[in-house]
Amino acid sequence: MNWLLHLYPARWRERYGDEFRAVLAGQRASLALFFDVLGGAVDAHLHPQILHSHANQTKGDDTMTLAMLQRCTAGGARLSPDDRRIASRVTTISALAIAVLSIVLTKIYREAAPVQALIYAAAPALGMVYAQTAYLRRRSWRVQAFLLGGGLSGMYLFMLAICLIAKRL
Amino acid sequence: MAPKTKDDAELADFGRFSEPALLILVSLAEGPRHGYSMTEDIEAIAGVCLGPGTLYGALARLESRGLIEPLKSEDRRNPYRLTALGERALRARLDSMMAVARTGQRRLASA
Repeated sequence: MNWLLHLYPARWRERYGDEFRAVLAGQRASLALFFDVLGGAVDAHLHPQILHSHANQTKGDDTMTLAMLQRCTAGGARLSPDDRRIASRVTTISALAIAVLSIVLTKIYREAAPVQALIYAAAPALGMVYAQTAYLRRRSWRVQAFLLGGGLSGMYLFMLAICLIAKRL
Repeated sequence: MAPKTKDDAELADFGRFSEPALLILVSLAEGPRHGYSMTEDIEAIAGVCLGPGTLYGALARLESRGLIEPLKSEDRRNPYRLTALGERALRARLDSMMAVARTGQRRLASA
């Protein structure tokens, strides 16, 4: 049943492969064992972050691009509990601020394109706030302000352009 | 069972790996062991045969939390041992389970 080990991620096999084979060799082949190994493989793909300790995630000596690529792996973001907690708080506060601003501006300017653009941009913007707050938390405030401000401005201008085009049609 | 202390909470979010993780910590409380030895010990003390998928899913989680650590080994069977944090987490979890067990026993006795 050793072939099932190939279903696990390469990094996982590198770390636990030899030990795993030793344990597997000591057990009698059965359907239950097959599903146990299969379930373990699914889990290893769904939770790649369990291979890394929290201490390893807080290193700041790699490049920003590399850090973002490493944290945005296809199997899920590798974020520490602190990263997630802070990003969630910032996102919640941002959501409340956008909600209040949208209500006030709608009351004053009704269905003006800039107000509609703000409402439409809110959901993707909050996703951007969460991601950038979590992934760039250990970067300087200037880098964070530049990337987050640039991203949000770009998002808003894109939605504004769509609203203006839609109003003209 | 909801965790009551910070140490007890270390095992709280292991999901389906909570019980195997607890059994692994209990097995390592006696001293360092490698994977195969753990499965044999766990089967002897709890009657549970942990498959390698479950065993290493729980081991990886325990290691990433710093509750256990691998020891250097010459052969491919890497032994693991409890860390100080792991020992505290195990004590807290067992205390919490014993409190529930005592309450259950008392209530059954008075029923």
